[in-house]
Amino acid sequence: MARAAIYSLTVILAVIFVIPLVWMFVVSFKPEGVSAITIAEWTDFSDLTIRNYAKVLTESQILRWTWNSFVIGAVTTLITVIISSLGAFAFSRKTFRSKGFLFILCVSGLLIPTEAMLIPLYETVLSIDLLDNMWGIILPSLTNPLGLILIKQFMDGLPKDYMEAAQIDGGRDFRLWWSIYLPLTRSAMIAIGIFYFIMSWNNFIWPYITINSEENMVLSTGLPTFLSNNVLHVNTIMAASAIAAIPTMIVYIFLQKHIVQGVSMTGVKG
Amino acid sequence: MKAQQAASGWKRQLKNEFSAIAFLAPFLIPLLVFYIWPLLRGAYISLHSWTILGMEKYVGFNNYTKILTNSDFYKYLWNSLYFVILVVPIIISLGLLLALLIHRKIPFQTMFRSIYFLPYVLSVSVISFIWLRMFDSKHGLVNVILETLGLSSVHWLTSPNAAWWSIVIATVWWTVGFVMVLFLAGLQEISQELYEAADIDGASSFHKFRFITLPGLSSVMKVQIFFQIIAGLKLFGQVQIMTNGGPGDTTNTIIRYIYVTGFKKDMFGLAAAQSTLFCIFMLLIAAVQYMVVNRKES
Repeated sequence: MARAAIYSLTVILAVIFVIPLVWMFVVSFKPEGVSAITIAEWTDFSDLTIRNYAKVLTESQILRWTWNSFVIGAVTTLITVIISSLGAFAFSRKTFRSKGFLFILCVSGLLIPTEAMLIPLYETVLSIDLLDNMWGIILPSLTNPLGLILIKQFMDGLPKDYMEAAQIDGGRDFRLWWSIYLPLTRSAMIAIGIFYFIMSWNNFIWPYITINSEENMVLSTGLPTFLSNNVLHVNTIMAASAIAAIPTMIVYIFLQKHIVQGVSMTGVKG
Repeated sequence: MKAQQAASGWKRQLKNEFSAIAFLAPFLIPLLVFYIWPLLRGAYISLHSWTILGMEKYVGFNNYTKILTNSDFYKYLWNSLYFVILVVPIIISLGLLLALLIHRKIPFQTMFRSIYFLPYVLSVSVISFIWLRMFDSKHGLVNVILETLGLSSVHWLTSPNAAWWSIVIATVWWTVGFVMVLFLAGLQEISQELYEAADIDGASSFHKFRFITLPGLSSVMKVQIFFQIIAGLKLFGQVQIMTNGGPGDTTNTIIRYIYVTGFKKDMFGLAAAQSTLFCIFMLLIAAVQYMVVNRKES
């Protein structure tokens, strides 16, 4: 009895969760002006059309924005994972005088979010001429130390034998990192990489402020330009949302296990 | 002989120091340029009258006096806090509920987890578009459902109180899956033996929840509450797209206020001072978080 009640609650909540998404798709396939709010409209399959999609794809740069989002996400993720791993190696495996100070400096990056320093960060990016440029988005997002902290914790848990076997020598340190520590921390790096990619993909305020030419926009900031365009109907806007949602939904379905793992790993400690 | 040894030891230490710093440099350089420098620079800009074209003149603490003697800053900071007060309890309790619902082995367990988490992978623009439409007074699904149930429809985005709830509902739908996944991870850490022992003692479900589950989740819970408070204070995208701060300025948040002051009104100096005050506020929260999370359980 109690079990059945709990299970039906689970189902009802799932339905509530999924309705807005299903509705987005339904509206996006309806001709202009049909808002799909009655059961009759939902179940009427005769008027389905792909014209809204065609319109969005031909009249806006949405594919370009998707590509930009993807490139920025991939580059950010790749660079962060590598520099975090290098830094983590120094903190976890080397003893040096400025270690304590530098670690505090790195961790301090967690304290203040980008949102709280928009003005001076904008001024900094302006002064090195990176406004309206994808590097102006990538470089400031490399300062998040979460990956470094997590990989360090992961490395702390590895046996120290490798380190003792190797001589303290710059060149060899690098080889040690590359051929032993990098492969050993692979699973942690995948989890962290996925987390960074989602963060980059969903980053809104910073690209919103720094990118102003339409061809350099990312998906999250390009989409709102549809709102200022009064000619577009809601069906077209939903088609645009669907186009923006589909790549992440597909990736999520395939990489679900890794994504969930990555999120729980970064979130529990974060 | 001794001096020579000392010198070579000193040299080796220096070399070691440099090799460690070489590993850290790729991380430290962006950190210095895009975090430490802007923080200092922000404090400097805040003491000046400044536009997008650059510095105009030194004005001392004038910007700060202007902000602190005007009610706007407090009003918008309160708006952000108000959002936090509305959203955090809901997101934490609903996240916990979802985790508890699908924690045990049930049919389609993975499918339910996927559905609850799915909105989290969408970008803020997509979720804002969806809910903008859902909350439409005439053609929105929410009002249609309310009317079908015999309830009166609501002007979601244009009446002050409902506008906040629209933002809250959209945000909860978007991010509660994240909280759920973390609680699921926390639940897996709780030893099954505790429950078995409680069963032998004949403990009720409520007692097991109260004395085993909740304490077992306390560290995840603390981290999550602060994470959500900070995320709530950063609220910008949903408001910017769904309500534009409206109706009036009811849903204008502190971040949007800084954004408008700096980028719409071109008062960089003033906006930098606002940012600096907000940074101090965030640091205070981080300090409280540190004390709460690291306090020894008594």
